[in-house]
Amino acid sequence: MLVLRRRAGESLLIGDDVEIELLAITSQGAKIGIRAPRETVILRKELKLTREQNEAAAKALATRDFHRAMEELQGI
Amino acid sequence: MPLVDTKYFGTLTYREESVFDFPLGIPSFESEKRFVPIELPEHAPLLFLQSLAQPELCFLTLPILVVDSGYQLAVSREDLAALDLDITRQPLLASEALVLALVSLHDGFCATANLMAPIVVNLKTRRAVQAIRQDAVYSHQHPIATRAREEAC
Repeated sequence: MLVLRRRAGESLLIGDDVEIELLAITSQGAKIGIRAPRETVILRKELKLTREQNEAAAKALATRDFHRAMEELQGI
Repeated sequence: MPLVDTKYFGTLTYREESVFDFPLGIPSFESEKRFVPIELPEHAPLLFLQSLAQPELCFLTLPILVVDSGYQLAVSREDLAALDLDITRQPLLASEALVLALVSLHDGFCATANLMAPIVVNLKTRRAVQAIRQDAVYSHQHPIATRAREEAC
């Protein structure tokens, strides 16, 4: 992973058309501004992980024999 | 009483007031707004969340404290507002909010629970959201201690 140190008000560029500006830093976290083409998808990573995990969770029963799934969960 | 068709439990009756109402659905299942909780004594402490719209969509969940007895809630103000809960503090488990972890099964008997994004239900109104944490304290694939895991994982 590339690690850079930036101060509030400073930017960095990714490729030709994405700019990320560090707007402010507080004890609550960093406020980030992103300039990118409208078609660029920008997601909080935890939302993407949640979507993927929900899809996996929906398959827990759908792709298994029910009793086998229950066996896997014995002894909780 | 209304009926719900399910893939795993046949046709069941349910009480309208038991339904969990997800105004926003959950990520990847945004159109699924209503789930009915199903508790079966032989499978306790599991709680099944059965979609009222799709018989084949049924999530496995566990009460969050069963997965991690020391779990600390961190529901965002936006999610607390969506739940009609007090936005100035975390809800009390058991009396104000039911908090569930979605369970995934993986090949090789290694079940995991999503502690990063628990399902939070306002017990008074039955409104529910999937409250995604933003603090990276808990894993989206937290290992669940099962008998099978002790042997296989």
